[in-house]
Amino acid sequence: MSVAKPYESATSVGGWPLRLRLFIANYGVYIALLALLLAATVLTPRLYDVNTIAVVMRQASQLGIVAIGQTLILLVAGLDLSVGGIFLMTSIVVADVTNGRDELVIPAILIALALGALVGLGNGVLVTKRRVPPFVATLGMLVLVKGATQAYTKGVPGGFVPDILGIVNQSWFVLSIPLLLWLGLNAAFIFVLRRTVYGRKVYAVGSNIEAARLSGISVDAIRISVYILGSCLAVASGIVLTGYVGYVDRFIGTGLELDSIAAAIVGGTAFVGGRGGLLGTIAGVLIIQILSTMALLMGLDIEVQFIIKGLVILGAVTLYSLANVEA
Amino acid sequence: MLRKLIYMLFILSLLLGTSLVSIGQDSAMVEFEITQEMVDASPYLQSVIPRLNQEYDTSEFAKDPPYRIALAAQGTSNAWSALFDAHAYWYVEHLGEDVVSEFLYGDAQASADIQVPQVEDLLAQEPDALILVPMGAAALSAPVERAMMQGVPVVLCASAVETDNFVTEVGTNLYAIGATLAQWLIDTVGEDGDFLMMTGIPGTSTSDIMEEGALAVFDSYGIELLDKQAGFWSPAEGKKIMETWLAQHGDEIDGIWSGGAQMVQGMISAYEDAEMSIPPIAGGEMQNGFLRSAIEHGFEFYAWMYPNAMITICLDAVIQILQGEPIPRFIDFVDTMPEARPFTDAEAEDYYRPRWSDDVHGPVTMPDEKLAELGFLVEEE
Repeated sequence: MSVAKPYESATSVGGWPLRLRLFIANYGVYIALLALLLAATVLTPRLYDVNTIAVVMRQASQLGIVAIGQTLILLVAGLDLSVGGIFLMTSIVVADVTNGRDELVIPAILIALALGALVGLGNGVLVTKRRVPPFVATLGMLVLVKGATQAYTKGVPGGFVPDILGIVNQSWFVLSIPLLLWLGLNAAFIFVLRRTVYGRKVYAVGSNIEAARLSGISVDAIRISVYILGSCLAVASGIVLTGYVGYVDRFIGTGLELDSIAAAIVGGTAFVGGRGGLLGTIAGVLIIQILSTMALLMGLDIEVQFIIKGLVILGAVTLYSLANVEA
Repeated sequence: MLRKLIYMLFILSLLLGTSLVSIGQDSAMVEFEITQEMVDASPYLQSVIPRLNQEYDTSEFAKDPPYRIALAAQGTSNAWSALFDAHAYWYVEHLGEDVVSEFLYGDAQASADIQVPQVEDLLAQEPDALILVPMGAAALSAPVERAMMQGVPVVLCASAVETDNFVTEVGTNLYAIGATLAQWLIDTVGEDGDFLMMTGIPGTSTSDIMEEGALAVFDSYGIELLDKQAGFWSPAEGKKIMETWLAQHGDEIDGIWSGGAQMVQGMISAYEDAEMSIPPIAGGEMQNGFLRSAIEHGFEFYAWMYPNAMITICLDAVIQILQGEPIPRFIDFVDTMPEARPFTDAEAEDYYRPRWSDDVHGPVTMPDEKLAELGFLVEEE
């Protein structure tokens, strides 16, 4: 099956020429990434040091893995805020089950994945069967998961992270385990979205849910499965983060839930579903991470960093809007 | 009492233009100069310094026990706060029902937004006194003033607000702590060192005041920092920032100022990954995980203490107020807990407790059984 460009169907009257609009919609994020990299040659040439590239790629991988799930969910016109709670839950499960023992890492990961899948199932059921808006359902689930972790830990997440997870901190030039995992997961899900019936159904459900239902697609099953996948990918990201920090940090992954949505949107995935894809999200993740690293290299204050990040998101949405395609 | 004497000398010497402040003892002794310009530029110092020498006449609050005491705490957020609460409940139990008949508790979850209405709810229950751990200096000022207007004496515990309308504050001079950490770094590395600075959460008074004190000292030497970033008291953020700093500055880094031990754990991890030796770090604490890493990696550090056990001093202050006894308007916990003093890497082994879990902040005044109940004791092998 050949896959359409994200905004192949965009048409409108007035404004910019159609070709330009489609070009911006389809390639804008890559041009923005290129422009950012060119700007870095002047503003922060140190970004091109091997060590800095390794840092950027390792940190981008943490965001990137969860952004894959967020993109899948956005493609079916959903949204997942609950991933913010899954990071800490994963970290607690890993530390609690293993208590620092390497031999218990696999059972800990399986338990975390099972719990993550349960959260995803809850999100999916609420959105499909109870028709709760995704924002409300996943926000409620976020609060529930955070509350449950607080109740379980009595507000004090503790325990020891097994040394073997420290492998995520190893780099060979710019290659690292998180980066390979991110690239591998991207390759797998790009294949699924582009080359399988399941992938076609995901796009179909996001494009027009009623048309998909009428054509015999089990819409609810697709949406629920996507929420489960999203949660499991958040668990994967949580495991990488836990190994990265080497400590159960109450604030682990703070902000990644919103950054992952931002990365997907900047990457051209439509908020209303049905359009976009993982290549764009990869570019979106890199833009957000490179901007963050450049801001640090330039010594900008945290407030300025937030402003820049906000402007980039708004800029991307505005650009897609000017190109007259929905973002 | 020695500290009070130092502060009194400090106030007197301010009249002459400058003041020499000494903090710590033995290997942790650090001296730095606070100038009149620093005081003029710091609303915090302008608030604290006069109160060092003042007493509050509490006769208007005198009543017979038992008392109903309200605690608006930081609440479920981290190990420091969990131990703070545990100390509070343990000490109330220790005081007995003849002294405290009811203990009202508010859990702010480390959020000023949650704490403001919570204080109102606590005041609606008409407690005899309120202990407040303010989650925001500006946001909590109005609730504090309303409590005082309502006739409920307020004791600020561990942090400050922007009004002076309260009875007393229990804590320590955070400006001086921030300044001391900076001064130690300069003494250890030299004035021509290249330094980095990582602060806590911007906007919280504890972080902002420490930062203010540190920057004043760095400025007084004309030192330009390589960079200053907010690490949000998080090991993960601390590590992310440190990784970029290492890629950017590498061996140039001569020393690091940190607003908390959690972030130092992230820094250590970044240095470990980069296989580089760790430079002197000012900003450790008596936190067991930090001490374990510091001993393992063997780098120079300067640590301070912010004991969660200070809540026992806050409770004592409340009892004193409700008995109508005059009380100092600023109570430095070091006067009551002399062990809560700064220390260096030379004493790391003395402060490390093998049986405590990584997240315990000392010193702890509760018995071990209480720590075990809370899961803070590691099982002996």
